[in-house]
Amino acid sequence: MKGQESGFALPSFLPKLSYEKQDTLLKLCILSTAAILSFATRLFSVLRYESVIHEFDPYFNFRTTKFLTQEGFYNFHNWFDDRAWYPLGRIIGGTIYPGLMVTSAVFYHVMHFFHITIDIRNVCVFLAPLFSSFTTIVTYHMTKELKDEGAGLVAAAMIAVVPGYISRSVAGSYDNEGIAIFCMLLTYTLWIKSVKTGSLFWSTLCALAYFYMVSSWGGYVFLINLIPLHVLALMATGRFSHRVYVAFCTVYCLGTILSMQISFVGFQPVQSSEHMAAFGVFGLCQIHAFIDYVRAKLTPAQFAVLFKSAVLLLGGGALLTFGILTAAGKISPWTGRFYSLLDPSYAKNNIPIIASVSEHQPTTWSSFYFDLQILVFMFPVGMYYCFSGLTDANIFIIMYGVTSIYFAGVMVRLMLVLAPVMCILAGIGVSSLLNKYMKNLDVARREKKTSKKTTTDSSYPMKNETATGIVFLVTMFLLSYTFHCTWVTSEAYSSPSIVLSARQQDGSRVIFDDFREAYYWLSQNTPEDAKIMSWWDYGYQITAMANRTILVDNNTWNNTHISRVGQAMSSPEEKAYEIMRELDVDYVLVIFGGLTGYASDDINKFLWMVRIGGSTDRGSHIKENDYYTPTGEFRVDKEGSPVLLNCLMYKMCYYRFGSVYTEQGKPTGYDRVRNTEIGNKEFELEVLEEAYTTEHWLVRIYKVKDLENRGI
Amino acid sequence: MASKYTCLLTKELAVLLLLALCSANVVHGAGKVLVLVDNINVQDTHSIFLNSLKEKGFELTIKPADDASLSLSKYGEFLYDHLLLLSPSVEEFGGSISVGAITEFIDAGHNILVVGSSDIGDPIRELAGECGVEFDEEKTAVIDHISYDASDEGEHTKILSAPSNLLKSPLIVGETPAEPLLFKGVGMTVDPDNPLLLEVLTASSSSYSYHADVPISEYPHAVGKSTLLITAMQARNNARVVFAGSLDFFSDEYYQSSVQFATSGGAKFPKSGNQQVATALANWVFKERGVLRVGQVKHHLVGETSPPAAYTIGDDVMYSIEIQELVNGKWVAFKGDDVQMEFVRIDPFVRTTLKRKDNKFYVQFKLPDVYGVFTFKVDYERVGYSFLHSRSQMSVRPLQHTQYERFIISAYPYYTSAFSMMVGLFFFSFVFLYHRNESKTKED
Repeated sequence: MKGQESGFALPSFLPKLSYEKQDTLLKLCILSTAAILSFATRLFSVLRYESVIHEFDPYFNFRTTKFLTQEGFYNFHNWFDDRAWYPLGRIIGGTIYPGLMVTSAVFYHVMHFFHITIDIRNVCVFLAPLFSSFTTIVTYHMTKELKDEGAGLVAAAMIAVVPGYISRSVAGSYDNEGIAIFCMLLTYTLWIKSVKTGSLFWSTLCALAYFYMVSSWGGYVFLINLIPLHVLALMATGRFSHRVYVAFCTVYCLGTILSMQISFVGFQPVQSSEHMAAFGVFGLCQIHAFIDYVRAKLTPAQFAVLFKSAVLLLGGGALLTFGILTAAGKISPWTGRFYSLLDPSYAKNNIPIIASVSEHQPTTWSSFYFDLQILVFMFPVGMYYCFSGLTDANIFIIMYGVTSIYFAGVMVRLMLVLAPVMCILAGIGVSSLLNKYMKNLDVARREKKTSKKTTTDSSYPMKNETATGIVFLVTMFLLSYTFHCTWVTSEAYSSPSIVLSARQQDGSRVIFDDFREAYYWLSQNTPEDAKIMSWWDYGYQITAMANRTILVDNNTWNNTHISRVGQAMSSPEEKAYEIMRELDVDYVLVIFGGLTGYASDDINKFLWMVRIGGSTDRGSHIKENDYYTPTGEFRVDKEGSPVLLNCLMYKMCYYRFGSVYTEQGKPTGYDRVRNTEIGNKEFELEVLEEAYTTEHWLVRIYKVKDLENRGI
Repeated sequence: MASKYTCLLTKELAVLLLLALCSANVVHGAGKVLVLVDNINVQDTHSIFLNSLKEKGFELTIKPADDASLSLSKYGEFLYDHLLLLSPSVEEFGGSISVGAITEFIDAGHNILVVGSSDIGDPIRELAGECGVEFDEEKTAVIDHISYDASDEGEHTKILSAPSNLLKSPLIVGETPAEPLLFKGVGMTVDPDNPLLLEVLTASSSSYSYHADVPISEYPHAVGKSTLLITAMQARNNARVVFAGSLDFFSDEYYQSSVQFATSGGAKFPKSGNQQVATALANWVFKERGVLRVGQVKHHLVGETSPPAAYTIGDDVMYSIEIQELVNGKWVAFKGDDVQMEFVRIDPFVRTTLKRKDNKFYVQFKLPDVYGVFTFKVDYERVGYSFLHSRSQMSVRPLQHTQYERFIISAYPYYTSAFSMMVGLFFFSFVFLYHRNESKTKED
């Protein structure tokens, strides 16, 4: 694009600049506009609601960040949290990726050093948008390395608003992914740079960026597999060189040592099978380099014999060692999450706790279009251009594109990894297209002025018209992309989910602030050491906002403990009471949407509680089929299974609901989510008493009664 | 004038308050008892029993059960500490007293002695039902055709229960008397699901409960040993309730009469065991005996005096608890030797008997190698003693990053290999560089 930009004349009131300077100025303007745009477009939720942390995990991150800023790094590192997972507790320092918290704490302290007294909550809320601005700049540099500056600008502009990335990085969505995408792209950029130059300097920087990535997101496993894959592909295509050797050996050795400094990662890089690919490729690099050296010294015939015998011997030996180590348990067997990547139905069949998370579900085709829009079509175009001018770096982006599109198909949340490469490849595609046709357009115009004869080129008829058409089409595409992205961001990805809103019939918004109401009630009306049982989704929010001890939370590290809570929820009252006594539960909290029509409430999640509850030995009496009607339906009305209608969760949700009118023309106890009249209306709670129900009945809190004073 | 009066009044009040405080400090128990009677004559027929209470220091307020001015509480405060119901036949309590009010009284930690008889009325039966005790119907009596007293008038309802039928708990019934117990009244059964009930006195195995003057047409309410004459309950809040089926059991007449088993050649005793048992029972139910309380509970690292914010796994911890018993109105150190402490995280990880020294029970132990939120738990539940529960929650954290071993002996080969590698590499690169230079010069 360089050529065209310098061709435009600047308005006369601007000082005269050389073409190079104009070029730089223009690029700077475009890039900074993209960066600012990427920040601004993520602020919908702050403007519409307030500067709050969103959803579930961010509350935990917020709480830990607060702890880090107050107590310092060493206390944070050694933090044993007795508020969560009662009574097991959780070693927070050793079970999280600290990158996010450390980043915010650094920002916070730097700001305070300059006497900008910003609240830590605001640092957390605005961190993800800030990092997406950085991502925009990194994307520019990366695409520049791959193709040229023009493609870089297009890619940067695209990633600034791509919904697939915005979904995880709106203001308030204070999660690992927010900074991890930046780290990932930074690592890739530096990797490409080091492969291109073969210099120790860039490789070391790449290893440092990799360290930052490891410290911030579990998705680093994707990186440590993709980079070796790239090296392998280079070897296979005969492009292996000293540059690649230096780059990979440096990155692997330094990166592995650095990544082992994160206590959550620990010895995994040398033990778990997910990291074995990198180790294998590292070994292969040495062999390849050695073979190259030997080949240079020997005759081809000698070399052939040596090569064959060596491959057979070493291959056999390696396979045997791997087998022995896996059998001995030294190399951890393929973990569940990994299997679910390769085989989408694996988790669903085997590990209910993984399958229950909505973001672990396979992606639907529509969501590809929803999250990426025209990028879906421009991606192959970019692919084509990469193949047409194959370089070491291009091979990398091709591998990245192909693998990530597969993973994104397996799991919704990995759309996040796909979005950047989509932008980069689409950027290359769009830029190359424009490059090609803009030229034609320009030539045609200039020639029109001078001589009309040359316009009709016999080898290329309708040159100008085709060019105009294509440029117009691409412009329309880009415009629609912009509108689509803004619309998606505004409508789908900017609700904090802690505050809900709904449109009334007259079009005005109603705000449901029940969650915070309930958590505030808990913090003000329950004893300091009260233990609260809820389904694990709400664990992080309760500890962060109500500051009370909870049994299970979103860090689903202990399956049996979650299963125990699931058993309590799906048992009849007396059984549940035993479990609650055993776990010292004081209060139980449920989310109920039947009055307002909030669909992701506990009744809709209930089957997962049953499945998870029944997945361990102690819960083997809980069978999923008991909760269905004989025809296999999950119903809460009169037809529903009696086991369901008498379990603790049902009773807690529908207590007193049988006498409430929810909708005109419907009987009492009409559930607006399931659209039925509930089946069990008149019942009293025996072991619980209602402690608090929020304004719209979204959150209901029950107190567990003590044992009967007089014995019965 | 008015001001003078108020001044005097405040002074008086202050003095009273001071007295009240002093008395509260020095003398416990022996509180106010509301005695409800059917018939005011009970004062005379049961004078020994009532006087023994007075001698103990109880302040008795004796009123008819249907007195319209009756009230257990005023302005949310209870007016009495204990309730003695000598009014089996009452059909409806007077004033604001009702079965509901009485159960509230129990749930607030106060004690009741309920006495029934064959003329038992609905309120008493209802009250018993609230505690899991079921009196037989009105007009029924415990009948025993074998072990009845010689003075019986032919209905065989003035029965004798052998001392061996008494609960073996000196705290509740005192020393087991040698003489049998004289009883005439209504029998009861207990809800087997209620773990708080104690069968204080059962009838002998030949007894049953039925209408004395009606031929038996259906299965009796209770038969043999399951016919209870006296039951006790200690509620979870340590409120004590005793149900006795016989009003006469506490009377002067039964206290003093001689007893003889009516069957031929039955043993004869100059006096029944009633007085001894009744006095002990009243002492127990009105919390003169068998009352324990927890004093100071302390736990800390060995060699320190205050607990840290959280213990670390493997720490040596000292736990001590003071337990006091109420003896003759004074709190003295409890002298049990079977107090146990559990260190619990869902399941107990440590369970140990505490050693006693002076007024303290203590144990020193090593924390298990498991982290989490633990509870020091002392649950001392013995028949006759009030329930003693003490819980202190404490976190046990894993080792800090500075508490691990810095150098591990078994890892020395690895240290050596790392350092030898570094040294080797240094020399190798040195030689490598030097060698190349030399060869180049040679070639030149």
